[in-house]
Amino acid sequence: MSQHPTYLLDRAKIEGAHTLAVAQKHGAYEALRKILKEGITYAQVIQVVKDSGLRGRGGAGFPTGMKWSFMPDPAKDPRPRYLAVNADESEPGTCKDRVLMEQDPHGFIEGCLVAAYAIRAQAVYIYVRGEYRHPYNRVFQALAEARKAGLVGKRILGSDFDCEVWMHKGAGAYICGEETGLMESLEGKRGHPRPKPPFPAMFGLWGQPTTVNNVETVFNAPFIVNRGAAWFQSMGTKTSTGNLLVGVSGHVNRPGVYELPFGVSCREIVEDVCGGVWKGKRLKGFFPGGSSTGVLPASFLDTKLEHDAIKATGSMLGTAAMIVMDEDTCMVRAHEIIARFYEHESCGQCSQCREGTQWLHQIFRRIENGEGRHEDIDMLVTLSQGMAPGKTICALSDAAAIPTLAVVKHFRSEFQEHVEKGACPHLPAGTRRPVLAGHGAAH
Amino acid sequence: MTKITINGRSIEADPTKPLIHACHANGAEVPMYCYHPGLSPVGSCRICQVEVQQGTGPARVVVACRTPVAEGMVVNTEAPKAHETRRECLEFLLKNHPLDCPICDKAGECDLQDYAFAENQGEGRTHEPRRKLDKRKSLGDVIVLDEERCILCSRCVRFMEEVPKTPQLTVSDLGSRSTISTFMDRPLSGNYQGNLADVCPVGALTLKQFRFQARVWNLKKSLSTCGECSRGCAITVEVLRGQDVKRFRPRYNASVNQWWMCDTGRFSSARHNATERIVAARRTSRGLEVAGLEEALAAAAALLSGAPAPLIVASPFTTQEEAKELLALAKVLGAAAHFVLPAPSGLKDALLNTGEPAPNRRGLAELGFAPLSPAEARAKLAGARCAVLAGERVLELLGREELARSASPKVVTFDTHALEGAAAEACIGIPEQVEKTGTWINIDGHAGKLHVARPAPKGVGPLTRSLQALTRLLQPSSAPAR
Repeated sequence: MSQHPTYLLDRAKIEGAHTLAVAQKHGAYEALRKILKEGITYAQVIQVVKDSGLRGRGGAGFPTGMKWSFMPDPAKDPRPRYLAVNADESEPGTCKDRVLMEQDPHGFIEGCLVAAYAIRAQAVYIYVRGEYRHPYNRVFQALAEARKAGLVGKRILGSDFDCEVWMHKGAGAYICGEETGLMESLEGKRGHPRPKPPFPAMFGLWGQPTTVNNVETVFNAPFIVNRGAAWFQSMGTKTSTGNLLVGVSGHVNRPGVYELPFGVSCREIVEDVCGGVWKGKRLKGFFPGGSSTGVLPASFLDTKLEHDAIKATGSMLGTAAMIVMDEDTCMVRAHEIIARFYEHESCGQCSQCREGTQWLHQIFRRIENGEGRHEDIDMLVTLSQGMAPGKTICALSDAAAIPTLAVVKHFRSEFQEHVEKGACPHLPAGTRRPVLAGHGAAH
Repeated sequence: MTKITINGRSIEADPTKPLIHACHANGAEVPMYCYHPGLSPVGSCRICQVEVQQGTGPARVVVACRTPVAEGMVVNTEAPKAHETRRECLEFLLKNHPLDCPICDKAGECDLQDYAFAENQGEGRTHEPRRKLDKRKSLGDVIVLDEERCILCSRCVRFMEEVPKTPQLTVSDLGSRSTISTFMDRPLSGNYQGNLADVCPVGALTLKQFRFQARVWNLKKSLSTCGECSRGCAITVEVLRGQDVKRFRPRYNASVNQWWMCDTGRFSSARHNATERIVAARRTSRGLEVAGLEEALAAAAALLSGAPAPLIVASPFTTQEEAKELLALAKVLGAAAHFVLPAPSGLKDALLNTGEPAPNRRGLAELGFAPLSPAEARAKLAGARCAVLAGERVLELLGREELARSASPKVVTFDTHALEGAAAEACIGIPEQVEKTGTWINIDGHAGKLHVARPAPKGVGPLTRSLQALTRLLQPSSAPAR
């Protein structure tokens, strides 16, 4: 195993860290205590997070300190303000927030409170993915303990800081992980993303100033408050600081969630951390950060896992959920499955996304089933270009288009092989894969 | 007002309205599906993409319906990138559209059809099977939904929420499985359902009453005013082959009805297709007999000339122009002018319907006509020797049966139909509201114009002219009638 300094999962590895007693013995709520006892101001918390270079861990990588500073000055805007924490972790491949919520719920709650303090929010809403029953229960129990201990609610630790934390369970829609879809869902409406502007900092939950942060993002905040910006910057790269949780899934010997600094190479993750591609096979390609970041072929394995380097390859870091595929993987089949996911999860507001995700799925399915035509390959490209970038209300359309563009770019020959052979070359001759159930789509 | 530039022209735009409004007001054609000027903008169909450049920033392609106008903004609606984005969006909208325009009632006034033709997208690239959904889902007595044609713009959902404020429709399910539906498939209710067919940009929501009735390009459209209540909504009357009134549709009028009208008014169009109409009749020894207009007018003059103070009762549908001629007649006869004010319809609501089925009540009152309830009018008639009953539906409102029962007073009627019974001395036919020009004054004092949408039956002249002729016959020193 590689030797990198760690902090995110240190406490999570301790037996019983989900209980308040054990968590507090190992440093939980120290940052909150420090802020409230030493009288650290809101502005100072934002400043130290800005200085640390912390970037959002939800996929877009937006600087967190800057996002917090977008919240209007309470002296000029006395409206109530909220923090919404996005725990609707549903990007295919991503499973990092789950580990934090299950293993270190108090660390997570402390993160919520520090972030709420920085943006002067009087309430935190944690939107948990509906399928995450165990993480939900863990955080729920931890919250009850923390509330009892005076760490959540009115006059936290005897100070004049009031902050209530509420939890909400999603009902299984990917789109509710989009920040405005999440807010609509929290308000009790259909999870239809809202057009921006207005941005959440001005018009968020119930029309009030709101910041939406990822679980891992707020989880980082107490460490930065405790140990300082310089310590945080000592890890990672210049533009992507700190450690991040890398969730590796797919054809590796040791899949899992690993804490690594930004800037380690993808090769180190696959070959060293995860023990190499399984069954002694060779690597064909990998998604660097979840299914909506474009696939990269094995030749990109030396790319450093950080925002700028991955961006230079034409892909995105996303949630750093690496999906590794071995040499026997059918890229068309893999993307048929992904396209089906996006068709199923499109909210249906924007024309491009509603119709385009279905169209892409249909074309992938035809090619995979040997019914593709050569024109279909270029259709995938032109349709994807019509869906992205930035042509729709939210980024789901982009999320369906980007992997399509990437796979045609890097693996065009596989598509041609499917078309020419009239069948999937990865299947024994004469056999067909079972057709995936399409949801309401015409077959 | 905000100064902006649209396609090279400097213009002043209303800062309270989104950019698409300024584009349309200045002749820049930007297509729209989800946007409707009377509803909140959601920016979901994504068709109204235009290129906008502000300050020193780069030109961006944005949806015009969600973009506020800002001082100095430079807009290019035909920029290649904007145009290309719209074209792509259109292709997606047509992907599952059934393209059954030949059997679609909306064809000819369909925004999707128009833009597809403008963009020359007669043929699609898709080889996939199109969505199979319910082609005729009843949403109540008024509306039928074709789910396949629906482009999910959500105008209908927002209309129900925002205009009559009776939310009943929603988009159910997600993504490509989305459909418009009501809760538990309950039928729609309310008096404003007909507007759903108007706001629908495609042929998804159509009127049961208008289904397969006419191709819209065969309809002759005339500007008019609805007569079902004293709101007087601005409408177009649409007539097929110069004969059948096929539909009434609301017409934008900022100070009266905006874009809407109620179903009571909308479906009153059916009343104007009655076949039997009278031209003129007079009483002879054999009873009421068809006669020429001159003969009928002469009979009327003979009745009225010697009579002491005959009664004049007008219909609330009487136009200002007709009412003035009635006043002239009243002056010659030394008679008092009244009009029938029917009982409230019970349809009064907070939006448009005033519940007062008398389109020119205010105008008639301002001219000095005294309102009478049908019962009061009948009581007054019972005490009179003779009377003039004038205006569309006056006999119906007074009660045909009650009038037919007694032989007194002797009456001269100006209505679309004759009065059965012994009382009528002369019956003179008049045009219906869709067959004449004129003015009604609505409840707020706005003048609503009527125009000829369909010719009156042969031989039926305007009421104003018949009244003038009668007045001339009754004037003591009148010149011989021309």
